[in-house]
Amino acid sequence: MIPLSHFMLVSAALFCIGLYAVLSKRNAIMVLIGIEFMLNAAILNFVAFSRHDKFAASGQVFALFAIVLAAAAVAVALAIILNVYKYYKTIDPTEIDQLGD
Amino acid sequence: MNEYIPYLSELVYGAISGLPLFVPEIALVATFVIVILADLFLPGRKSSLTFWLCLAGIILSGILSFGQLSFLDQGVPLFHEHIVLDPLAVRFKLIFVAATLLFSLFIRSNRTLMEHKKGVGDLYLLLPAVLLGLNLMAMASSLLMIYVSVEMVSIASYLMVGYVSGANKQTEAAMKYALFGSVCSAVMLYGMSLLYGFTGTINITDESFLPGLSALPDSSVTLAVILTMVGIGFKLSFVPLHFWSPDVYEGAPTPVTAFLSTAPKVAGFAILIRFLGPFYSFASVSGRVVFDFDTILCVVAIITMIVGNFAAIWQNNIKRMLAYSSIGHTGFAMMALVAFSQAGFSSLIFYFAVYVIMNMAAFMLADRIETESGAETASAYKGLGRFFKLEMACFVIVLISLTGLPPTVGFVAKLLVFSSAFEQYAATKSVFFLLLLVTGAVTTVVSLFYYLKIPLNAYLRKAEGERELTVKPAFLTYVIALLSFLLVLLGVFPDVLA
Repeated sequence: MIPLSHFMLVSAALFCIGLYAVLSKRNAIMVLIGIEFMLNAAILNFVAFSRHDKFAASGQVFALFAIVLAAAAVAVALAIILNVYKYYKTIDPTEIDQLGD
Repeated sequence: MNEYIPYLSELVYGAISGLPLFVPEIALVATFVIVILADLFLPGRKSSLTFWLCLAGIILSGILSFGQLSFLDQGVPLFHEHIVLDPLAVRFKLIFVAATLLFSLFIRSNRTLMEHKKGVGDLYLLLPAVLLGLNLMAMASSLLMIYVSVEMVSIASYLMVGYVSGANKQTEAAMKYALFGSVCSAVMLYGMSLLYGFTGTINITDESFLPGLSALPDSSVTLAVILTMVGIGFKLSFVPLHFWSPDVYEGAPTPVTAFLSTAPKVAGFAILIRFLGPFYSFASVSGRVVFDFDTILCVVAIITMIVGNFAAIWQNNIKRMLAYSSIGHTGFAMMALVAFSQAGFSSLIFYFAVYVIMNMAAFMLADRIETESGAETASAYKGLGRFFKLEMACFVIVLISLTGLPPTVGFVAKLLVFSSAFEQYAATKSVFFLLLLVTGAVTTVVSLFYYLKIPLNAYLRKAEGERELTVKPAFLTYVIALLSFLLVLLGVFPDVLA
């Protein structure tokens, strides 16, 4: 059996890759992919930990909820990004800065 | 799978026995479905039927929640302790109902939204859904419910901000909000997964949750708790996580801004109380502090008050200024939270009930003046006092109340929060609480500078070039006048609200 620490290492690595993508990518879709990495790191944690839970269920149920909600949030974010492209002809978040002082 | 069979009947019973106390939320779900069907088959020109159905459902849910106050005297855990219904949650729910009702009236009188080619039917159907999410936020007592309810409110908020998408600014605001919000909720989810791994339970009121955390080294607990707080902090927009709010408040349609600056923020406080509760009760029972929230909350509150109020001084755009002022109010409200006592909570409830009225009225006024005269900035308000007689008089009352001066109720609210924080200081003599009180007092004075810029420009400064405006009172004017009247009335008789 794979020890728990390996799962935690993989998920921590996934989380850091996601965070790096979110902070460095200049494309809104790539940022969304980074967010997806971070979410999946958390979901991996939940599923791995639920192996040692007394009911072995709450972590897995949490993972299911997280997957569904992540899909909903990504659908909304993609629709918004599509709208941004319509008006700006770019999806680079650093170039879209009409708001502000 | 077979090991679950003995528990099955117990699980089903637990779910069914919770239903009678969940009626206000069931009413909202029913409203949501009915509103979808009504908007689909009988859309009408102005979605009037949808509007009235939505209003009726929300009022019904509010009445049902109000009824719960009479027989609840302590917390009742429902659905296997995933949610807890207590008088505090019910009071929060009533504040959310008030905010949502004002929001729906505000949508109805906003020209940009009403004349949009897409219609407003879809916006109305978001209202019961977002209210459901807010109610769940006030009652959540497990990590799963916290995550689900925060996401419910967030997704609905992204949709509202991007709803019109008729201009560059709105799409930009929506994108910034959605990306920043998704990152924060992903970070929160990772923090929750760590908390679950450390304790083996997702229920924060479970008896193994805090003993599990206290057995771990401080650094791991701090990491997990701070990651979880990121998601809650996004909803509250306290300082390290406040970047989104000025941009989103400026770009979003004004009714949506008014809603976002009130209800989700108040719900963020509700969820913070829920999340901190077990930590404080564990500390008082076992004498072990698992995570030093007092210091962190004090520091965050101080920085939030300073950043919010000082940044507001430099703003010219009215909506942006109100955004920073609401960040300042978040910091001020956190003063009531650091006390973490029943007295602190009731002062917090009072503060938020007043805050919802003030902020809604302020944004309604900004919207009214913008639609009639096109003035979006404080400098464009010059000389407008002549044309907007009733509106500007109300604006003065609202701004005095936001500052926290008598005779308005804003003064009473600030006084209550102040006294609850002072009691905590008198009991502990901690330097942080003293600093907190001093910052609260100083920033209240600072806030006077930017709030009074509006009446100063409207009444005392002359506009360049003569202009004539004929302003007819609209429905929204009467709503604003009523809210301003309430602010003064409650200032004289604050017991009505309590």
